[in-house]
Amino acid sequence: MTTSTRTEIEDFLYLEASLLDEWRLEEWVELFTLDCTYEVPATDAPEADPALSWSLIHDRRTMLEQRVIRLKKPEAHAEFPHSRTSRIIGNVRILEQREDSLEVSASFLVSRMKAGKFDQYAGHYFYELVPGLKIRRKKAVLAHDCLDPQGKISFVL
Amino acid sequence: MPEPFVIDNREDSLFQVHREVFTSPEIFERERELIFGPAWLYAGHESELPRRNDFRTRDVGGRPVIFTRDRHGEVRVLLNTCLHRGASLCRHPAGNAKIFTCFYHGWAYRNSGELVNVPSVEDYAGAPTDVYRTLPAPRVESYRGFYFVNFSGDAPDLRTWLGTSAYLLDLAVDQSEDGIEILPGTHSYTLQANWKLLVENSVDGYHAKSVHHTYFEMMMELGQTPPMLGDSDTNGVPPAGLGTEFGNGHATLMYPGNGLPLANEAVTHNLAALRSRAVERFGESYATAVFDLARNTIFFPNFVLIDLNFGMILRTITPLGPDRTQVSSWQLTPRGLDEESLRYRIDNALTFWGPAGLATPDDVEALEQAQRGFGARREMPWSDISKGMGKARPAANDELQMRAWWRQWNAVMTGEPLPREVEEFIPFDVPVQQPQGA
Ligand code: FES
Ligand SMILES: [Fe+2]
Repeated sequence: MTTSTRTEIEDFLYLEASLLDEWRLEEWVELFTLDCTYEVPATDAPEADPALSWSLIHDRRTMLEQRVIRLKKPEAHAEFPHSRTSRIIGNVRILEQREDSLEVSASFLVSRMKAGKFDQYAGHYFYELVPGLKIRRKKAVLAHDCLDPQGKISFVL
Repeated sequence: MPEPFVIDNREDSLFQVHREVFTSPEIFERERELIFGPAWLYAGHESELPRRNDFRTRDVGGRPVIFTRDRHGEVRVLLNTCLHRGASLCRHPAGNAKIFTCFYHGWAYRNSGELVNVPSVEDYAGAPTDVYRTLPAPRVESYRGFYFVNFSGDAPDLRTWLGTSAYLLDLAVDQSEDGIEILPGTHSYTLQANWKLLVENSVDGYHAKSVHHTYFEMMMELGQTPPMLGDSDTNGVPPAGLGTEFGNGHATLMYPGNGLPLANEAVTHNLAALRSRAVERFGESYATAVFDLARNTIFFPNFVLIDLNFGMILRTITPLGPDRTQVSSWQLTPRGLDEESLRYRIDNALTFWGPAGLATPDDVEALEQAQRGFGARREMPWSDISKGMGKARPAANDELQMRAWWRQWNAVMTGEPLPREVEEFIPFDVPVQQPQGA
């Protein structure tokens, strides 16, 4: 993979963040490869493999698309009307540059307003990116020990 | 406080619950004492403590506890509060320890509860280790690997408390000859709603179509046959399913299973192998109940087992306040499952369940909206739970399960016994199978 600079990666992550905050979810899904995974481990098992543990999210491409299709329906009750979110991505680091992929970590803080309730989700992202800047793997590790007071991850982290 | 809490009108088949019971701080306090005092409360599963001295701290019915296997291998539930002045003995969520030392002044306890060390003990006229000796211990009993505690002295034993409903635990455990285990990872979340609303929701077959519409649409889009009702009975359970109740407020709904959504051939094959081993061990009737029926069960007051064969969820529902509830949920699987089937089970269960699944968030939304609606409880004081009342055999999407639970709740809270509605139903041939005892 041609060497990427941190600025390029940051621009990419900021683009992703804005697609999510603007609910342009179909465009967001297009940032992912066809063999992608999108993972959120359980808050008490951040190191566990989401494929083999009782994690919060373990989506492959098809399920990711379905998640987006569902979220756009008014019958997705938990997100109707939509949450308004504002996310800050920071501390972006390139952990490893490989032949065919790139490992990146970042911190996130997602603020969310929904039905008079304001709450925040904090944590770390781990990405595996491939040439052409596509996401093969995205893992969002929450810094929470319980989903409180959010109660749910009904939008995309 | 309103009286009555519950209207159980058998003549007109009308069942109502007063909405004040979801909002009143006095009722909340009374529940803490009367409901969560004398009941058997689920504390954990044996597979969560595989080695000696393993422990997990958690909250059981509003009490902080340490669920631990002591150095002799015995499972115990210790109150996680110091005899001295109350600080937590253990602040780690999980680990392995023989001794818990309170960080406040250093009193130390064995994991079997004895107080073994007090710093500067020479300053006491009577050594606290002699005066107090040991942490007061709640009663702990298990049924087939499920550990329950009881904080009151004069409750019946666990087996008696469970009564016939114990077979629902058998049906879960008997999916593999090696038993079952809890997977790593806990779904831990709170709701801004009264705990009893999630109890209702956990055994509510009526809301599935309306609340989880988008989920079913998705399954259809993915090529999964819509969860169609079959046309014949499975062990006496009709296609529309049925609800049944047991003593002490335990209740379940069951229906012929919808097979294995999104399963590939290998998974189908592996599951068929599990099933045929169960036929050998227990006979066809019992194996059919284990593998071909789905069920949602509430064990009074706050323990839920949802067993859909392709995924098994345990849930405890802990009230934090009249309008605030903490949920913990775990995934149970048959032991010794091949990795492919395990992955399938997890993925399939995850798409529906949990605070980031494609269905559970909508449940949470419904409960929070109901709680909000209770702001108008003075003007509209009653909730209705009458669906299917008066039927000899209510369907899975009727509300018998909730009424059974509410009658027990009401009996405990007011001392007023209300007779049961239906006979207990057992979906297999009892004399043929004898699941191993407790
Ligand atoms: S409170 Fe535990 S040693 Fe003092
Ligand atoms: Fe539901």
